[in-house]
Amino acid sequence: MAANGKRKVAAWALVLAVALTACQSQRAGGGGGGDVKTDVGITSEPCPGSSHADRGCIYLGVLSDLTEGPFRALAVPITEAQKAFWKRVNDQQNGIGGRYDVDIDTYTRDNKYNPEEQVAKFREIEPKVLALAQSLGTPPTLATLPLFKDSDVVAAPASWWSGWAFEDVVLESGHNYCIESMNGLDFAAAEFGKPATVMAVHYPGDYGGDSAAGVTEWAKVNGVSFDAKANNVQTLPNAQAGNQDAAVGAILKVKPDVVMLATGPAEMAEIVGKSVAQGFKGRFVGSAPTFNNALLKSEAAPAIKASYHVMAPWSPFGASDDAAHKAMQEAVGAGKVPANDGYTQGWMWSYPLKAVLQKAFDDGDLTRAGVRKAVGEVTVDYEGAMPPKKYSGDPNQNVVRTSLVAKPDDSAPLGLSVFKEQAAGPTAQQFKFTKPCQSVG
Amino acid sequence: MRGRPELFTSYESDQAPLNTPARRRLLAVLLAVLLVLPFGLTGELTALLATAMLSAVGAIGLNLVTGYAGQVSLGHAFFLGLGAYTAAVLSGDPDGEVLGYGLDMAIWLPAAGLVAAVVGLVVAPVATRLKGLYLAIVTLGLVLIGEHLFRELRFITGGPGIGRPAARLELFGVELGRRTEVAGWVISREMQLYFIALVVLLVLAVAAKNLTRSAVGRAFAAVRDRDVAAEVMGVSLTRYKLIAFTVSSFYAGVAGALLATVTGFVEPGGFDLLLSVQFLAMILIGGVATLSGSLLGAAFVVLLPRLVQELPRVLPFVTSESTGGFLTTFQLQTILYGVLIVVFLIAEPRGLFGLWVRARNYWRAWPFSY
Repeated sequence: MAANGKRKVAAWALVLAVALTACQSQRAGGGGGGDVKTDVGITSEPCPGSSHADRGCIYLGVLSDLTEGPFRALAVPITEAQKAFWKRVNDQQNGIGGRYDVDIDTYTRDNKYNPEEQVAKFREIEPKVLALAQSLGTPPTLATLPLFKDSDVVAAPASWWSGWAFEDVVLESGHNYCIESMNGLDFAAAEFGKPATVMAVHYPGDYGGDSAAGVTEWAKVNGVSFDAKANNVQTLPNAQAGNQDAAVGAILKVKPDVVMLATGPAEMAEIVGKSVAQGFKGRFVGSAPTFNNALLKSEAAPAIKASYHVMAPWSPFGASDDAAHKAMQEAVGAGKVPANDGYTQGWMWSYPLKAVLQKAFDDGDLTRAGVRKAVGEVTVDYEGAMPPKKYSGDPNQNVVRTSLVAKPDDSAPLGLSVFKEQAAGPTAQQFKFTKPCQSVG
Repeated sequence: MRGRPELFTSYESDQAPLNTPARRRLLAVLLAVLLVLPFGLTGELTALLATAMLSAVGAIGLNLVTGYAGQVSLGHAFFLGLGAYTAAVLSGDPDGEVLGYGLDMAIWLPAAGLVAAVVGLVVAPVATRLKGLYLAIVTLGLVLIGEHLFRELRFITGGPGIGRPAARLELFGVELGRRTEVAGWVISREMQLYFIALVVLLVLAVAAKNLTRSAVGRAFAAVRDRDVAAEVMGVSLTRYKLIAFTVSSFYAGVAGALLATVTGFVEPGGFDLLLSVQFLAMILIGGVATLSGSLLGAAFVVLLPRLVQELPRVLPFVTSESTGGFLTTFQLQTILYGVLIVVFLIAEPRGLFGLWVRARNYWRAWPFSY
């Protein structure tokens, strides 16, 4: 009897132990073998649908605004561009060191531009991915930032928030919203005469807040009076606010010479269209995410073409003949164009992660920690579309101070032609970048 | 009574919570399974089960006021939100951008329930004057007011589209919401959430069971079944409606606080009418005025979306892509809620619990069941 009882105990202990080890080994998946260290998000089996049977697979996650958020029109081409970018890496550039392909399809999830959704989706895919090929939106990405740091997940943001320069796990590209605003107003001052009043109309949170901080800084440096309440107007996406009438009312009341916009594309069109229709005579300069070429077919099109310019960190699709733009054209197919310029953004945002993965591979350490470490060691090559970029050292030195000005143009392939080439305005040049323009909140 | 488990010789034994051996055995097996389950599941499913159990806490709360006391409430989302934000504020980082006091879970968890309960107590007098459709409209107003408050009180909620981190799971100074290793075994964050949810659910479910089989529970039923008759018998309508609303709000507050910790982030847009309707769906699908119904319904409503996600593999015309295709999984989920509520109301008003009773009675009389 006693022996029987002992056997029972032993059997139960075994069951428990097996169950526990099963849960323990969930995370330690993969292992590409050989001399490269790996942990999470890498398998030695080929990627789903890959033609390279001899290569392992690196899984990257994508958290994007794919169905109902304010940036869905841009987010879909951004994601398409990234698929094409990594397909090119796999098929034409020998993958990562000839040993791994990269898959971003399996763990593409919809964050709806909602921080709560983003956190939930990140928790879902985190145990299965090495890094994030895209994390769209400043507020959603900020919500997951502590989780990125905890689990050593490096992410390419689809966002230009100034604070990313101070975070090693986020691989930003191009100017930030803050410098974009300064350059936008410097451009307007040079082009249309120095404005007597400027205004910032923006989303709440860090995208809009960053842009507005740039406007505030510009006003201070250039001696233009700027009332923190009247000239600095928050507006919500239409999904929450219904319409932009309050913002339009505020613009018509203040009658500024230049309005700097940081909203979604549909909201921009409504604000510009309604303000101009009600007799507003000033200029609009939009942050890069405010434009979508589909708006040129909307009823606001004449107003947009007449009084709106949009900032961009790099040349729009088809507007430059550097290697990056040629590769994009090749990926889309000769003579074809993507849905909108979100495609260019998605493509450019992918270069840093490719460089980091390659560097981590060269160092023989494709673990999460190895990838995070590689961030400080790379110099990103944008194939001529942008000057090379580093993430180590002083943000004040590394920060990109140049922006490009584009103009809505029916004849251009994506409704945007370059109006003024890459340049850093005087305000951005002297700006001391020691902390995020708009702090976390 | 040995050998005759269904013979009750006193009201007490008839009303006892586990009055048959079958029930006791079933509960023991269920508990054993629940204790072992997370060790064999992925983190995602463990978190989902934790969500189901915490939703069950909220559903029990709604069932107390709507199922047992018969007062239709569409305002449950508001109380869930109150709980979530009370907890987030009390436990939040004192140096953060939004209000926070950095307090322990031992404080914020009861406080979340109490704040919701107090607000429930304050609004309940309105409810005591109304019933049926009018009450539904008033509680609907509550959700709308709540939505507005959560949107505008940015120093508390962070504002729409921004949100704030949810309460931190730190109990008596021990950080729970983090992967830890105990003697070489990895205890994931999801597992810790799961066991917190299990304990809270057990405590509150037993409390609810005891409430419903006491004088208060019988008074609830009297108010629900005929308010005039109840009053004639000396049951104070005001008193029992107040109790029902207050207790129900307490449950909602606790559930809201803990539900938010599963994702770890709260966005004010989430506490809308849809959430209230989901909880109503839980008790309607599960079974009105039964405790097990609340549990079954919560599990069903929470797990349904996950099941639907698997459908594209089986049904080719359902697509998991966000756009295109004949029917996306998201559309299917929304349709299924509606269809299921209608089907249950018509075919089995007692809900999943009713189905269980039917199955049980069938097998009990087998092979002579008809």
